Amino acid sequence: MDTQPQLAALRTWPIEKLYYCDDCSQVRCQRCVIEEPAGYHCPNCLFDVPTASVRSEKNCCARNCFECPVCTHVLAVVEAESSRGDGGQPCFVLSCAVCLWDSREIGWEFEKSTGISAQIERMRAAQPAAKEYTSLLDYWRSVQRASATANSASHSFSTTNSFKHRLTSTGLQNNTSSNPPPYTAASYRRSADKPPLSDMAISDANYVSPAGNSRNSEPQRIRLHMKLSRRCRICHHILIKPESKAQATRFKIQLMAANFLPTVTLPRALPRGRGTMLGPLNTDPLRVGVTVPVVLRFTNPLYTEVEVSVVAGRMRDTQVEVLEPQFTLPPFADLWELDDDDYDVMSTPGTPSSETARRGIVHRQGNRIAIQIQVTPQASTSCLSIPLLVKCSHMDEMADIDAPESSASRRVVSNAIWVYVSLGAVN
Amino acid sequence: MGGLRLAPQALVCKNVAIDGDVQIGNGTVVHVGASIIAKNGPIIIGNNNIISERAVIINKHSTPLMIGDNNMLETEALVEGRGIGHKNVIQVRGKVVGTSTLGNNCVVGAMCTTDPSENVPDNTILFGNPQSRRTRSDNNSDYLFLHMKHLEYIHEMLPRYNHIIEAE
Repeated sequence: MDTQPQLAALRTWPIEKLYYCDDCSQVRCQRCVIEEPAGYHCPNCLFDVPTASVRSEKNCCARNCFECPVCTHVLAVVEAESSRGDGGQPCFVLSCAVCLWDSREIGWEFEKSTGISAQIERMRAAQPAAKEYTSLLDYWRSVQRASATANSASHSFSTTNSFKHRLTSTGLQNNTSSNPPPYTAASYRRSADKPPLSDMAISDANYVSPAGNSRNSEPQRIRLHMKLSRRCRICHHILIKPESKAQATRFKIQLMAANFLPTVTLPRALPRGRGTMLGPLNTDPLRVGVTVPVVLRFTNPLYTEVEVSVVAGRMRDTQVEVLEPQFTLPPFADLWELDDDDYDVMSTPGTPSSETARRGIVHRQGNRIAIQIQVTPQASTSCLSIPLLVKCSHMDEMADIDAPESSASRRVVSNAIWVYVSLGAVN
Repeated sequence: MGGLRLAPQALVCKNVAIDGDVQIGNGTVVHVGASIIAKNGPIIIGNNNIISERAVIINKHSTPLMIGDNNMLETEALVEGRGIGHKNVIQVRGKVVGTSTLGNNCVVGAMCTTDPSENVPDNTILFGNPQSRRTRSDNNSDYLFLHMKHLEYIHEMLPRYNHIIEAE
C-alpha cells in the first residue's frame, strides 16, 4: 500500500492514536514512546495498591477478589449453609453469578466474610506437605545460622581455608558441639516403623500447589491493572500522565496530536451557503479513468493561524491534482465569536475572476477549510489510499526562550506529516 | 383473544398479545408487552410463573407447549420449543428454540440458546460467550423462597399501575 519506498518503514495511525511532543515539536506514535506504570489497582474493587505491596502480593489483589475457575467471572462472597456436619451454622462461600459455581465444590468454606486471602493461606498452611516444607526451611535456616556463628570465630583465615575447614569439620573444637542434629521428617517422628512415603504421598486430593498448577479447579486472585504514563523516547518529556486514582479517568497531562496538528477528514455534507440546508457530497463508487472531486476538510485546533501546504504523493496508478496547494487555516475561536460569513464558492454564481484561483477551497467555516482535489484512479483496487504530504507551520505562542531578549521574533514551528486518505473500492 | 383460559389468581396485563388456545395457571404473572402466540397448537402455562416484558412464547408445533410451575422468563426471553419444566430461569434474551425442551432447575443464561432440537437435562446451566454448559451442584433449594417473594410483590404492585385482564 505504501507507494514510496522510504515510507515503507513508517506505519499509519488514525490521528486519535498519535501523540505530539511539544518539546521536540514532532509527532510521536505508540512505538516511539516509553511506557511506565503510574499506578496499580484492582479492576474489581478499584483499590489503589501501593507500589511496595504489588511485588509482595505477586501482582494480585490481596482482598476478596477472586475469579471463578469455570467462567473467569468475579466471585462474590455470600452467606450459605455449611455442607459439613451442622447444617444450621452459616458460613461464607465464594460464588459465581454467571455459572452458579461456588467454592463448596472444592471444600472452601470461610468463617468470616472479610480477609478471604488470609483464611485461604491458613488453610493451605495446614496441609501436611506445607507443614513439612516449613519445618525443612526452619531446619536449614538453623544450620546456616550455626555455621555462620562457627565461622565468625575463624577470623584470620582466608576464604579458601575457612571453606576447607567447614568441609572437613575438624577445624575448630567448638564446631562439634554446635552441630545441629540431623533432620527428621515429621512422619518419622510420629512412628518409627510406619514408612514415611505413605504419609507424604502426593495424591491429587491433598496436594495443593501454590504455583498455579490447580488453575482449573481453584479460584485465582484477580490480577492488578496498571495505569501507564508515556514519555517521548528522545527528550523524555511526559506526553500522557493519568491521575493515579483508580476511579479517575482524566489525565493530568495529555498531549495528543489532534490538539496540535490539523485534522483531515472527509466530510459527508457541507452546509450550503447561508442557509441551513446540508448538501450531501458525491458518494458514487469510484471507477477507473473517471475523475472525481474529493473534498477534504482541515480543522485547526490551535489558537493561532496555521499555514498549510498540501502536495500529493507520487502514486503508481492514480493521478491526484490538488487544486489549492496552499492556504491558511484560521485559528480556533469560540463558537459565539463565529460570524456568519461562511461562504461556499460553488453556490455563489457571480464570483469575480480573482476567486477562480481559489476554486480549490470549497468551504470555510470558523477554523475549518474544505478543499477539493481531483482524483483519477487508473487501476481497480479494493481500497484506494492516497498519500498527501501536509506541511503545517505556525508561529509559536510562547516567546522563544533561546532567542536573545531584544528580538521580538517568535519561533516558527513546522511539521510535515503524511496523511493517507482511504477512498474505498475502485471498480 | 379466543381460547384464553385464565385461572382465578393469574395476573395478566391487558397490553399482552395472546393468540390462540392459551391456558394460564394460578399465580402466574404476565407483564406488559409479552406475547403468547398459540399458532398451530395450544400453550399450557402452569402456576406461579413470571413472564417478563417482551417475552415471547410461541407454539408453531401442533403438540401443546407445556410450561411448568415457578419458572422465570426474563425480558425478551424466547420459548418456541416443545416445553419447559419447573423452577427454570431463562435470563434476558435467552432462547429455547426449535423443538427443544428444558428440564427442571435449569438456567439459560443471558443471550444463550439451546440447540435446535435437544432435550436439555435437569440442572443444566447454559452460560457464557462462547456458550458452554455445566451441571449445577446445588439442589436449587433457595430459589422457591425468593421466587414467591417476588411473586407476592408483583401481585401487590402490578395492578396499581397496569390494566389487568379480569378473570371471569
